[in-house]
Amino acid sequence: MAGMKVKKTSPRHEFEIRLSGSGGQGLQLLARIFAHAFSSEGKVVAQSQSYEPTSRGGLSRSDLVVGMSEPDYPLATNIDFMLILDQVAVKAADGVISDDSLVITDARLVTDPPKGAFRVLALPIMETAIGLGNPRVANIVAMGALTGEGNLCSIEIIEAAIRENVHAKLTNLNVKAFQEGLNLVAN
Amino acid sequence: MTKATHQQNLQGNHACALAAVAAGCRFYAGYPITPSSEVAERMSLELPRVGGTFVQMEDEIASMGAVLGASMGGIKAMTATSGPGFSLKQENIGYGVMAEVPCVIVNVMRGGPSTGMPTRPAQGDVMQARWGMHGGYQIIVLAPASVSEVYGQTVRAFNLAERLRTPVVVLIDEVIGHLVETVRIPDPGGLDIQQRNWAAVAAGEYQPYAAGDDMVPAMARPGDGYRAHTTGLTHDESGFPTQDPETVERVSRRLLGKFEHHRAQIDQFEELQTRDAEILIVAYGISARAARRAVREARSKGIKAGLFRPITIWPFPQQALTKAAKKAKRILVPEMNAGQIVLEVERVAGRGRVKGINRIDGQAVTPSDILEAIGTGD
Repeated sequence: MAGMKVKKTSPRHEFEIRLSGSGGQGLQLLARIFAHAFSSEGKVVAQSQSYEPTSRGGLSRSDLVVGMSEPDYPLATNIDFMLILDQVAVKAADGVISDDSLVITDARLVTDPPKGAFRVLALPIMETAIGLGNPRVANIVAMGALTGEGNLCSIEIIEAAIRENVHAKLTNLNVKAFQEGLNLVAN
Repeated sequence: MTKATHQQNLQGNHACALAAVAAGCRFYAGYPITPSSEVAERMSLELPRVGGTFVQMEDEIASMGAVLGASMGGIKAMTATSGPGFSLKQENIGYGVMAEVPCVIVNVMRGGPSTGMPTRPAQGDVMQARWGMHGGYQIIVLAPASVSEVYGQTVRAFNLAERLRTPVVVLIDEVIGHLVETVRIPDPGGLDIQQRNWAAVAAGEYQPYAAGDDMVPAMARPGDGYRAHTTGLTHDESGFPTQDPETVERVSRRLLGKFEHHRAQIDQFEELQTRDAEILIVAYGISARAARRAVREARSKGIKAGLFRPITIWPFPQQALTKAAKKAKRILVPEMNAGQIVLEVERVAGRGRVKGINRIDGQAVTPSDILEAIGTGD
């Protein structure tokens, strides 16, 4: 009979990220790029998602649990860094963020951000994307803001991950969007 | 897949497809359905690269028929579906059991009954996987709890299907099917792959359902010149129908008995701190990942908790559970259904100390659900 023992020690758990907004905002792609970047740094990622059976609109979220080995539980339960790109996603913060969490919201699309002792940064993410000529890169602008403010990963590694995961024609636009996002939280 | 092992972020459903190809699967027929569609999608990309065949069928019933036909034609074959499709496939899976056709059926479970909640997780098909067909039969059902395990268990499903000449079900929940984890998949060259046991006797002596000591008959490879009759009717060693009581008794006993005969190879489970466990959690799939964390947190508070995780859920590993539950005062069974495996745990461990933790709200069981039931005082 094949019985297997699991190691008694807990896997080292580093941080959890929730990327939320409405369907079509590119949150799953964003999670994939982040996951790519973290695993290129040698970390182990568990990426889960929740979506509704519609192709546009509706709550969409993607979570990342990042550590140095396979987590016991791969789903997020205690979010350290949260992105909210649409008012519909505010409810995705319920019960999973704590006083130490950082919440970044889009200043225009999130009219009533979650309230609490945690830090909330309302940033002109969508406005910046529109300024770049394409609202669809709002996800990557947000990525820059999260990376900069949360000190999540080296800039070079994220940029390389962006290059590997977006269409070649859109690489420059996305890298620019990432840099603009970093600028939103510089100083 | 010819590259050496490397670390990658892989989705559970994609891991399933890659493992199938690595295990030698060269035929896939299916009707895409959430949350299993990525298995089909990936198979449609991978199979043509290795000379295999992918068919998007008109429905689930025909898919299962095509899989049986491909396997009888000598090719390792698989289909993937979710609850509604799994219901439709049952009759043909039964044919596969009776006619002893090796094949793999992947069911990525979603909320039910009926069309239920396509994008929400559940573990509601555990009893259906065991008892979904008519007639008395045995079946093997494997329930992986991580992306890397989806890979390993899919390979194992093909191996068991070939070894026992039977359909094998890989039962995945939506969370694990859609979960992306950083994994290192094994070099396919290093995998232990069970090849089909082809008939080698003289053509005139071949009996398609005559088995040796291992209770599993050799199959006729098409083109080798054997005559093999196949039917869903109860048949004797020649493959032709019979109702002779003595013969029926003999062939029926073999059809059931081959599973017990190969039980050592079929059973698989995982234990975490069960030796002195006073509170034992029995869980599978994503619920077992929640239990893993709950056990460690409870232990850090001095509570003697342990986890018994059946990986092969059918046949249920009762001997191993009996042993793991020896010191348990309480046994908790978290599931994303109203209580299915808990019935089996009660059968094995006795009703008094067993309690289910059940979520039927389309959400995964969490570590806190389990910690609350353990009663850690938080």
